[in-house]
Amino acid sequence: MRSRGQNCVSASHQSISLRSNFAHPTRLGVALAALIALVSGGAAGAANDAPTGQEVQAKLTYCEVCHGVSAQGFLGFSPIPRLAGQQVAYIRNQLQGFSEKKRANNIMFNVGHVLSPAMITALANSLHDLNPKPLGNGPKDLVDAGKQIYEQGVPSANVLPCATCHGADAKGSDQFPRLAGQLYAYVILQLTNWSKERAEHNSDIMAPIARGLTDAQIKAVAAYVSYLE
Amino acid sequence: MRLHGGLHIALLALLLAAPAHAENASRGSVQAKLSYCKDCHGASAQGFRGYFPIPRLAGQQTEYLENQLRAFIEHRRTNNIMFNVAHTLSPAMVSALAESFHALNPPPIGGAPRGLVEEGRKIFEDGVPDDNIAACAACHGPDATGTGEIPRLAGQLYPYLVKELTNWGKERGQNPSQPDTSAIMSPVAHSLSKSQIEAVAAYVSYLK
Repeated sequence: MRSRGQNCVSASHQSISLRSNFAHPTRLGVALAALIALVSGGAAGAANDAPTGQEVQAKLTYCEVCHGVSAQGFLGFSPIPRLAGQQVAYIRNQLQGFSEKKRANNIMFNVGHVLSPAMITALANSLHDLNPKPLGNGPKDLVDAGKQIYEQGVPSANVLPCATCHGADAKGSDQFPRLAGQLYAYVILQLTNWSKERAEHNSDIMAPIARGLTDAQIKAVAAYVSYLE
Repeated sequence: MRLHGGLHIALLALLLAAPAHAENASRGSVQAKLSYCKDCHGASAQGFRGYFPIPRLAGQQTEYLENQLRAFIEHRRTNNIMFNVAHTLSPAMVSALAESFHALNPPPIGGAPRGLVEEGRKIFEDGVPDDNIAACAACHGPDATGTGEIPRLAGQLYPYLVKELTNWGKERGQNPSQPDTSAIMSPVAHSLSKSQIEAVAAYVSYLK
C-alpha cells in the first residue's frame, strides 16, 4: 500500500514515454517496427538482454495461441482474456503478479516467470497497440442495466461507478485495466473470484467493489463492457 | 431382450440400406451408421490400431466431431477415406452420431511408453515456456476433456496423436478459402520436438 503512489507515478511516466514512441499504430507489423526501433534505441532500459524483433514476434505468436487472434481473447477451457489494447502498466503488473504468485494461475506462472523485464515491456507495448473488434459475447439484453452500473455505480450498495477509474470509454489508464471488449465470461470469472485469485499490487482497490456486486449486476456490467470498442 | 431387439432393428436397417441422406435420422439408421463407424474406430469407439492408427471418438466433444466431419467434406482436412464416409451423411445424422460418440466412455486402450508419461504431464500442464509452447491444459482442460470445438485428448491413441502433431499443417487447414480453427494449433505442433510430441501423446493416452 505504501508504495502504491510511487508505483503509479513511475509506471505512468514510463507508460507515457513509451507511448510517445508510437504514432497510433494499429497493426502488429507497425507496432513491431516501432518496438524494434525502441529497443535498439536503448529506451527499454535493459539494452544488453533486449530481445530481437524475431524473438518478440515468436513470443507474441505463442501468446496468441491461447489469447486468440490479435489477442482478442479466446474461449479456451476457461475464458482466456483479451489483451489487445490493454494498458502497458497493467500487463506488466499482472505478469509480475503471476511470477511472484501474488495472482494465482499455474499456467500464467509458467509463462511469466521466464520472461525478461525487456521482453515484458516489449510484449506489453505490442499488445497495447493491437485493436481488433471485441468478440462481444455478452447477452445483449443485459447491456442497458450494465451501462447504468458502469456509469452510475450502485450507490445503495456502496458500489462506485466503474467509469471513475476505468474511464468513460472503459479503456483504463496506467495500472487500471482496460475493460472495453473484454470477454463476458472472463469478467464474470474475475469479479466472482476476485480475492481468491488476486493479491498483487492494487488488487485490493477492487475487492470491496467485487464483493458488493450481486451476480446479476456482475453479469450486466460484464455484458456492457464486452461490446465496447 | 430390448438390447437384442435394438440390434435386430439396427441390422435390418443396415441390410435395407436406410438412406443416409434422409431428412430425419431414425434410431435404426443411427445405430446402423454407428456400427459402421465402429468397424474401424473400435467396438466402443475407443480407437483401433488399423493400418493407420484410427482415433478414439468415445467421449469426444460434440462440436469437435461435427466440425471434423464438415472439414473432411469441405477438404479442410484431407483424408480420402473420411471424405467418403462423411459426404453421404445428412446434417441430422452428423448431429446424432456426434451425440452418440460423446456419450460413450470406455477405458483408454493404452499401450504407450510408460517412461514418457511424467515428462508428458509436465508439458501438458506447464507448457515449455522457453520454447514458446503453450500449456495444453489452457485450452484442452486440466483433465484433457476438451470443450466445444476444442477436442478431448484423454484416452486418445498414442500413435494417432504422434501422427497428428507431426503432420498438422499437411493434413489440417488445407482449404485456403476456408481458414478454420486448426490454425490455432499450428504454431504449437510446429514448435514441439519429436520427443516432446511422444511424451505428451503418452501422457494423455492414459487419461480417463
